[in-house]
Amino acid sequence: MSAPVLEISNLSVRLPNDLKVLNTVDLRVEPGEVRALVGESGAGKSMLGKAVLGILPAGLRQTGRITVLGQALDQLPASVRRREVARHVSLIPQDPLTALNPVRPIAAQMTDAMVRIHGWPRRKALARAADLLEQVHIRDVARVLKSYPHELSGGMRQRVLIAAAFATEPKLIVADEPTTALDATVQREILRIIRGLQQETGTTVLFVTHDMGVVAQISQRVTVLFGGRVVEHIDTEALFAGAGQGHAYSRALIRATPDWTRSDAPFAPVPPEVIADLMQEQTR
Amino acid sequence: MTALISVRDLTVSYPDHGARRLFGPVPRKTILHGVTLELPKGRITGIVGESGSGKSTLGRALVRLVRPDAGQIIWAGGDRPVDLAPLDEAQLKPLRQDLQMIFQDPMSSLNPRQKIWQLIAWPLRRYGLDASRAAACAALERVHLGAAFADRFAHQLSGGQRQRVGIARAIALNPQFILADEIVSGLDVSSQATVLTLLQDLARDMNLTVAFISHDLSVIRHLCDDLIVLNHGRIVESGPVAQIFDAPSAAETRKLIAAVPLPKPDAEWLT
Repeated sequence: MSAPVLEISNLSVRLPNDLKVLNTVDLRVEPGEVRALVGESGAGKSMLGKAVLGILPAGLRQTGRITVLGQALDQLPASVRRREVARHVSLIPQDPLTALNPVRPIAAQMTDAMVRIHGWPRRKALARAADLLEQVHIRDVARVLKSYPHELSGGMRQRVLIAAAFATEPKLIVADEPTTALDATVQREILRIIRGLQQETGTTVLFVTHDMGVVAQISQRVTVLFGGRVVEHIDTEALFAGAGQGHAYSRALIRATPDWTRSDAPFAPVPPEVIADLMQEQTR
Repeated sequence: MTALISVRDLTVSYPDHGARRLFGPVPRKTILHGVTLELPKGRITGIVGESGSGKSTLGRALVRLVRPDAGQIIWAGGDRPVDLAPLDEAQLKPLRQDLQMIFQDPMSSLNPRQKIWQLIAWPLRRYGLDASRAAACAALERVHLGAAFADRFAHQLSGGQRQRVGIARAIALNPQFILADEIVSGLDVSSQATVLTLLQDLARDMNLTVAFISHDLSVIRHLCDDLIVLNHGRIVESGPVAQIFDAPSAAETRKLIAAVPLPKPDAEWLT
């Protein structure tokens, strides 16, 4: 087996009051894999994505090891670490408006990172930006390149950010709930674009989401989190096969997601006894 | 089936400040173009559409938070039918107790320094009802929160618990109609299921008429009896939920249904 793109071992992240938002997390993601990170709010899924990118909020303390492409990030000086992360890891953020600089045109924002990281000439970077914008199904590429963020719709901005994430030829992309802020009908298109570019480039993706339907469609493997700890790592097919595979909590999350293809399924919250069992299991 | 609310040729517009010229009146942008619908008594009607389709504006017009430009909103909850559309706030006041609403984050508009029981008691006092702590606690019991929550503050509650307080606040007034606008959009699937089960049970027990606005069709399918699909301010399809899911007739409806991820892995869905 080839070396993992991302390997996390014994990662804990503590708040100033010593509460652990991530607790002894182990995770290994193979090249070309789309891994879903799923959990309810407060499970630590976004925090894990932030830890990989080295953008944890100030005041949080991190212990354990994060290795990207065989390089232990926590062993590096901060400046080298930032450069290495920027070169190999990209982010597709949740809110496409706040992630863009409001006073710079799209062309400048897309090419900056390519010029800085790879030292490409501005012209080459611009050509790649235009090419990628076409691949994310933007029709009027020339106009979008000249536009400012506020001139674009939410769906368009998210496409720009997806193109920008792939532009630097990263090995790993952290997608942090990239469709949550978008209209339901735009979601499928955005997921298609991410999946298409991912397959074409073989990029590894860490896909943070709370939607089990999205997990089912986009990932090959799932890591389920609860209370900052890993509940399980499991193949997506196996978890959704309904043959009793997977943890009781993961299966309860699937059942809690309303199934629109059936008319006879009542709403099913995660049963309190499943939570109680899980918490007991975690403190052992 | 008798309708609690019948809407006829409802047109609503907002001032469009973006299109404003230096002189002259502010142009108006029409959001709803002559919408006609009925909300049958004791049933839950889902209202769906993409953002900008006018679903929230329709909801706000139903409870007269906005004043329509034209059309009628016939309220059949009193002794004789009343058209709500032309009424002013003073005329609406006696009807407001029957027209309650719950929004996505009920706490964002509430006083963060008031205790939960005070938040529930406030509207009770406004309508001259029993606004005691005991009355507020009774409402909390009905949403399965219990008196232990009475002295907490909104920020100490989870999203699902806050939404249950929002429901308690609305049902404490014993209304006939509830508008629920995206009330589970911000919640985890598990608390979403809890809140929706609660709403379903209360609606049945109290014979409530509910307009449930959502962008999530999988929720609509299991909660609602009827469905209205809006597109650019017009109704493109309406009818019983089961019938629409089995055979959607409008392109917009098919597009909305196709956007919901299939519940099991399917190689075709993203290709």
